[in-house]
Amino acid sequence: MIPTLIRHKDHWQGHFVAMASDCELLIDPCPQPLAQQLLEQACRIATGIEHKYSRYRRDNVWAQLHRSRGTKITLDPETTRLLHFAQTCFELSDGMFDITSGLLRQIWPFNADGAPPTQQQIDALLPRIGWQRVQLHGDQFLLPWGMELDFGGIGKEYAVDKTAAQMAQIAPELSVLVNFGGDIALSRPRAKPWQIGISPAGSEPALLQRLSIRHGALATSGSTQRFLLHNNIRYSHLLNANTGWATHGGPAQLTVAGRSCLQAGLLSSLALLHGADAEAFIQAQAVPYWLTP
Amino acid sequence: MQLSHNPTASGAFYNISAALAVASAALIATPAQADWFEDDAGWQLDTALLYYGEDGARITAVEGKIQAVRTNADDGALSMALTLDALTGASATGAVAQQQAQTFTRPSGRGEYTTAAGDTPLDDSFQDTRLQLNLGWRQPINARWEYDIASHLSKEYDYLSLGLSGGATYYWNKKNSALRVGASLFYDTIEPEGAIPLPLAQMPIRADYPSEQAFVEAFNATRGNSSDNKRTAEISLGLTQVINRATVMQFNYSYAQVDGYQTDPFKLVSVIDQTGTALRQLYESRPDQRSKHALFWQTKIHLGGPVLDTSYRLMTDDWGIDSHTLDLRFDYRFDKGHYLEPHLRYYRQSAADFYRPFLLEGASRPQYATADYRLAEMTTYTVGLKYGFPVGRSQQASLRLEYYVQTPEGDTGPGQLQSLDLYPQIKALMAQISYRF
Repeated sequence: MIPTLIRHKDHWQGHFVAMASDCELLIDPCPQPLAQQLLEQACRIATGIEHKYSRYRRDNVWAQLHRSRGTKITLDPETTRLLHFAQTCFELSDGMFDITSGLLRQIWPFNADGAPPTQQQIDALLPRIGWQRVQLHGDQFLLPWGMELDFGGIGKEYAVDKTAAQMAQIAPELSVLVNFGGDIALSRPRAKPWQIGISPAGSEPALLQRLSIRHGALATSGSTQRFLLHNNIRYSHLLNANTGWATHGGPAQLTVAGRSCLQAGLLSSLALLHGADAEAFIQAQAVPYWLTP
Repeated sequence: MQLSHNPTASGAFYNISAALAVASAALIATPAQADWFEDDAGWQLDTALLYYGEDGARITAVEGKIQAVRTNADDGALSMALTLDALTGASATGAVAQQQAQTFTRPSGRGEYTTAAGDTPLDDSFQDTRLQLNLGWRQPINARWEYDIASHLSKEYDYLSLGLSGGATYYWNKKNSALRVGASLFYDTIEPEGAIPLPLAQMPIRADYPSEQAFVEAFNATRGNSSDNKRTAEISLGLTQVINRATVMQFNYSYAQVDGYQTDPFKLVSVIDQTGTALRQLYESRPDQRSKHALFWQTKIHLGGPVLDTSYRLMTDDWGIDSHTLDLRFDYRFDKGHYLEPHLRYYRQSAADFYRPFLLEGASRPQYATADYRLAEMTTYTVGLKYGFPVGRSQQASLRLEYYVQTPEGDTGPGQLQSLDLYPQIKALMAQISYRF
């Protein structure tokens, strides 16, 4: 899809689709060629990350990592940094957030009339899940047989932060708001805050929250759309890697402000993984947040 | 990097946000950005300098304005505005022009001024400095409701105006529709130099009295209280509707009730005879009640590049004044933040029921009479052009130039008045420089 650029009264608005999301840039007033350059670069970064780590391609880094399971390989610098970050998230969350937990999606149907898996089904998968089983030393990496990496939990947030950093390099004097499907970061602080609306796709208009953002980042976890309702329990699509169970009892959606989109995104995901204690968890983080019950 | 978990005040959970911030920063390797919490809010400053000049020794005004708006992370906004204007020059008193020179007593009772033959009588002592302060606060309560409150203070040498206003806005239809209900109250006090003249009292002229003492006594006899006041209460209802991606429409209705002193203590009405000769001057008199209804409609259309902004305002009051305002702006956007905005405005009003350009000797004296040209039937046109351009990396500046023509209308008088211009046109030039930080 070709990125589109629209001139507004006091900013440029760029749009393209990547990572199954509407991706949007809001750019301070500047000459059109510069706005175009920023938009194309953002589009290149987003599609680049998508291609590199998508589970649906056979010619990318993700495929290469999985073809060489069981043997030690040397990672490229970007993948090295990403996996070290994933390791930090695993440690900080006591194993609740784990990029090897994606396998659980095979048995958790997040659609209208599914049912949760049986404990037996979960127990059968758990031995193939757990970051403590992988080996990561510097750029040396070993992924055991049967395991799978899922960059879904951090990929989009990473793309947002990387894009914002790149925008700051290309146009250090402009504030650019990077918004990939509701995950947001600013390239630099802005005197007059950017105004954005946050609402999950297809949600009730009443849920649209209007927020001002002056600097830093915002990320939203949860969904009023993707969940599993069974025996009056509303299971969120966020899965606890320790138990293999989908979380429930927490807010439908949580938006968190942070310094980076990755930080905000992780905090909101981890909060929701705490189920009914989500708000207590996010309060302990001392970050601004907005939740939808 | 410290990865050990630090228990926080809330006890049950560890604060890991700092560790995550450090880890994510290492991943992207960006220069650290200001923390969200350190500076949740910032100020936006708008400054403007306006010059307004009427031709022919009339009013000249210079106005400086500075406005600061602070928007918080939760969308609450505090606004403060300070306006200072300095007015000099002369304004028409309402007395008719004559083929001979005329002498008038100054509003203070101390001294006289003379108007040359054929000239519109102007009070040349018109000079004032006005300070205005406005404070406002607007805060969303939730996704659907927002409230706003504001206070207003305006002070001139002889005038003080205090006001309070507030409103509630309800949003629906994905915020494409908004309804605001508002109300305001104003309390104005006037304390004119030389106290308040009695309605339709005759202006004493020094030459008609044998002594200064007799004149002062006569002047004092025309005076009432040293000050008076008026109260204004207004309610308004506004609907803003996004029609489509390119069109926004707004409708407004307001009703205002003004009670109290609304006469201009400096305005006069001439009493003339059949030859059109002014026999004496009376201080004007206006009713102390006025109700106004106003309807306003505005549409902004994005036509790809340019934006068309049209509005129409209808005002009607129980003084008999009906006015129509038609306003048209075109906003042309160019590259690099430059824009041009041509502006056309048409205004037409009917005269107040008690508007009397003069009173005829011998006719019964009305209860209310004013010869103030601002309450006469009139048409005004404004033609303007604004040019905006970027300054530095995030500042905006603009220059505005407007030309204004006001044409009052009324009956031609008898006798000598037929050869005199009782309703002179006023032409004015406005120039404004504004700068946004």
